[in-house]
Amino acid sequence: MSVYDWLDKRLDLRPGLAKMLDHPVPTWVNWLYCFGGITFFFFVLQAITGIFLMLYYVPSPDHAYESVQYITNTVHFGKIIRGMHHWTATLIVVTVVIHMLRVFWHGAYKAPRELNWVAGVCLFLLTMGFGFTGYLLPWDQKAYWATAVGTNIAGSVPVVGSFLLKLARGGTDLGAVTLVRFFDVHVALLPLFMVIFLAGHFFMIRRQGISRPY
Amino acid sequence: MAELMDEYGRPQTPGASGKQGGVTRRKFLSYGIGGIGTAIAAALLYPIVGYAASPAFSTGKEQWIAVGNVTDFSPNQPQKVEFSYKKLDGWMTVEQKSTCWVVAKDSANFDVFNPKCTHLGCAYHWDQNETKFLCPCHGGVYDITGKVLAGPPPRSLDKVPFKLEGDKLLVKGA
Ligand code: HEM
Ligand code: FES
Repeated sequence: MSVYDWLDKRLDLRPGLAKMLDHPVPTWVNWLYCFGGITFFFFVLQAITGIFLMLYYVPSPDHAYESVQYITNTVHFGKIIRGMHHWTATLIVVTVVIHMLRVFWHGAYKAPRELNWVAGVCLFLLTMGFGFTGYLLPWDQKAYWATAVGTNIAGSVPVVGSFLLKLARGGTDLGAVTLVRFFDVHVALLPLFMVIFLAGHFFMIRRQGISRPY
Repeated sequence: MAELMDEYGRPQTPGASGKQGGVTRRKFLSYGIGGIGTAIAAALLYPIVGYAASPAFSTGKEQWIAVGNVTDFSPNQPQKVEFSYKKLDGWMTVEQKSTCWVVAKDSANFDVFNPKCTHLGCAYHWDQNETKFLCPCHGGVYDITGKVLAGPPPRSLDKVPFKLEGDKLLVKGA
């Protein structure tokens, strides 16, 4: 008797699992339809590697750079864990765009799936937010100046620009406060919203099914 | 066709259990997915476990710190020496303060003791009148060679490795 049989006898897992696993996949689905799933896989990977990067990373101007160097050069497998987080961050943008183009190309955003397109746009913006806030965390020259430029762009918005810039930086200058708020947004705020919007996205896909192309 | 039931009379998906004999398509796929899933999990878990446990594998760099000249220590006059050295703490280099007791037996033979009582780690001191090491916490008493004479300490004073380089006395820092 397998572990599964043992659990199933007590918890009656079969019907629930069957509902999930025996869900029919439409015949017109092809590899292009995998990009949402691939993006989700990458997101899970980012969550896992991110949790472990936090084991050594310190979000303070005194320690951020050195702690990242420590991860890269001293900690066992640090280069691999950081490398995975780094490259997956880039790949996730690629796959999210392919997924979005596929949905657009197939006209899958049309009624009744308008809301899921809106949820998707939110997911896209969240993905961009992860990229923007994560870029500052190594606290090296590239991180610092990229954020200087990025926040200056926010500052160039008419009327509310200077407020937005101060909001993003936590003051007029880019410094300790900026680093900590970018860190918080990157590891707490965005993940929370990401999970909420993913749940909505997946719920709607399940309810509405995968669209027929065009 | 009669519906397939499991032993509780619940309907079962045909082929789900592979009861028809041989490897069903369903079984093949679940083994395939299970196998690939396990491979991905293992490829992730292996580096992650090593990464998280990394500090437990590292051994501190050996350092020898000069604490004085052999002529600084007169025989049978235990002397408390305070010294500090640079030490790696994660990604930081910190100033580590440390203490040891040096006992010269003669100008070439020394004992260097860890400054913590072997009972529960209090700092002991040398009593010149009684010529004994006394611990204030629970009355531990040691003789000049570090041997326990009275009180709760379970073993002699811990020795710190040292070496002589010319006239210099060097102790090992962790
Ligand atoms: C974190 C980012 C995202 C994840 C993890 C994700 C995941 C998924 C998954 C697994 C599917 C099932 C079908 C497929 O994979 O093609 C799907 C469908 C869909 N996604 Fe996303 N998605 C994301 C971002 C987006 C974006 C940026 C858009 C568009 C702005 C979008 C709009 C849609 C729509 C409209 C569907 C329904 C498609 C249909 O019924 O054919 N999603 N998503
Ligand atoms: S700690 Fe020294 S006697 Fe208890």
